[in-house]
Amino acid sequence: MGELAQYLVTGVGIGCAYALTGSGLVVIYRVTRVVNFAQGSFSVFAALTVTTLLAAGLPHGFAETLAVLLAGVIGLIVGLVATGKPGTTAQSALIVTLGLGVFAYAVEILLWGDQPRSFDGIPGSVGGIQKHYLLIIGVTAVVLGATALLFARTDLGRALTATAADPYAARIVGIDVTRMGLLAFALGGALGGLAGVLITPVQQVSFDSDVALVVSGFSAAILGNLTRPGLTLAGGLLLGVVQTLVGGYLSTSYQSEVALIFMLAVLVARAGRRDVLEAA
Amino acid sequence: MKWAYLGVPVVAAVPLLLTPGQLTTFVLLGLSAMTVVGLSLLMGYAGQVSLGQASFTAIGAYTSGLLALHHTPPLLALAAAPIAAGLAAVVVGVPILRLRGHQLAFATLALQLILLSVLGDADWAGGAVGLQGLPYLSIGGFELDDDMDYAYVVLVGVLLVSLIAYHLVHSRVGRGLRALATGEAAAEASGVPVGAYRLLVFAVSAAFAGLAGGIYSFFLGYLAPGSFPVLLSIEYVVMAVVGGLGSVGGALLGAALVTVVVQLLTTLATQPGMPSYAPSVLSYAVYALLLIAVVLFVPRGIVPSLRKSP
Repeated sequence: MGELAQYLVTGVGIGCAYALTGSGLVVIYRVTRVVNFAQGSFSVFAALTVTTLLAAGLPHGFAETLAVLLAGVIGLIVGLVATGKPGTTAQSALIVTLGLGVFAYAVEILLWGDQPRSFDGIPGSVGGIQKHYLLIIGVTAVVLGATALLFARTDLGRALTATAADPYAARIVGIDVTRMGLLAFALGGALGGLAGVLITPVQQVSFDSDVALVVSGFSAAILGNLTRPGLTLAGGLLLGVVQTLVGGYLSTSYQSEVALIFMLAVLVARAGRRDVLEAA
Repeated sequence: MKWAYLGVPVVAAVPLLLTPGQLTTFVLLGLSAMTVVGLSLLMGYAGQVSLGQASFTAIGAYTSGLLALHHTPPLLALAAAPIAAGLAAVVVGVPILRLRGHQLAFATLALQLILLSVLGDADWAGGAVGLQGLPYLSIGGFELDDDMDYAYVVLVGVLLVSLIAYHLVHSRVGRGLRALATGEAAAEASGVPVGAYRLLVFAVSAAFAGLAGGIYSFFLGYLAPGSFPVLLSIEYVVMAVVGGLGSVGGALLGAALVTVVVQLLTTLATQPGMPSYAPSVLSYAVYALLLIAVVLFVPRGIVPSLRKSP
């Protein structure tokens, strides 16, 4: 298969990880209005956990699933600390999640050291494309599809959406808004953990990989203003593909700037438009 | 401000009592304090979180370093550091200061990541290795080659930025900024040039960071992109939040408290028998726990809380 096709599949694969991280941010932001800076830490923590579980002899699949569930539990804990105290504003909660991200560094170095780690994904390749990228794409499609169904078709999803739309009205009809917020954090944690577990076999992870991940996820999600899952997926895929093409045809040293410049451009363009709207 | 008149001579005597190792910590503390005074002003009065303040430290440091390596008189090279950082802040500030809250936080973080990546690839800036063999700072033919000299340079620097910050806060601009911090629409309606003042604070805070970076380059004698990680920006935020936003005294106390606690723990963690990862684990844990505890339980920071309570 041609070079271009390889780049496209690789880019979509990496973009899926960005989309998952971004979706985690979106789920949490929609329900709680908190931008979770520790989102990248879920991925790192889950990936490092898998390395330990595999070393302990657990089979593939089982180890990854356990790590994603653990990331969900950690998401719940982050939510408890960041939003559990009544009267915490969204701005304070952002700084608290920043602190929790730094705290994760301490825990991760203590448990796993400061060297990059990785583990094996699915071996082999089809037509020059590593099979693992196909796994990433398949799993992301299923999980994001299931998440969309959860929000659209179940009572729980409707309660989450109601909380996102109007917390006050949601409380009046008997929805426990605090519990919905914590649930969103758990879901966001699991999505972040999944991103880390999927991407680590093709990209090593170390304790401070979380900054790059959260920035990429935020870049993907900002296209939909942190509230629209569909645009987040599109943003993630777009970033992944453009980054891979830039890395393949221009230079790998410009790769990391793609997401950053894209994010700045979207933010500044939207701020300009808002100014016009406010003036009108 | 009265406490300051008493505090200056006391602090000025401190370097004489320190061991060489402690003197290095003292200089680094002072440099952090200079940056944090500016950041505290920005966060407290413009009400914005910057997660990229260390990029202005880096711009100042590289400006001084490059100029000094190209045979500019060191004092001139140092003076260029805050100017370059301030100008850079004006240039990026015009588009990004329209952003708010988490958007500005991510935008400043992105700018720092871009700057680090550009510096790491730039041959003229020494790439990932950075700049080495920088000369010492010299004033009128007198070469400052001793840590003790830099302790006093830093003290003068801290005094300078504190005075500028104090006078800025207590001027017409400061009143406008306070109005801005409490209610933007009301301030704008009362004729406060909101955008210009916000840009001014951003530029001033960047200039403070740039000056600190300039002194840093002469003090250490080498620079690399790795000297200014994102974590450094986060450290500055921790110091500013812990001490209390919008307060010069709070910024100084925050910088001192965080630096001293981390230094004490590092000393403890490098005792024989402690694992090699102990210093980094302990310092990350301290930053994190201090930040979380202060945001949740002392939201205004230590100094403003002490001042307002009876």
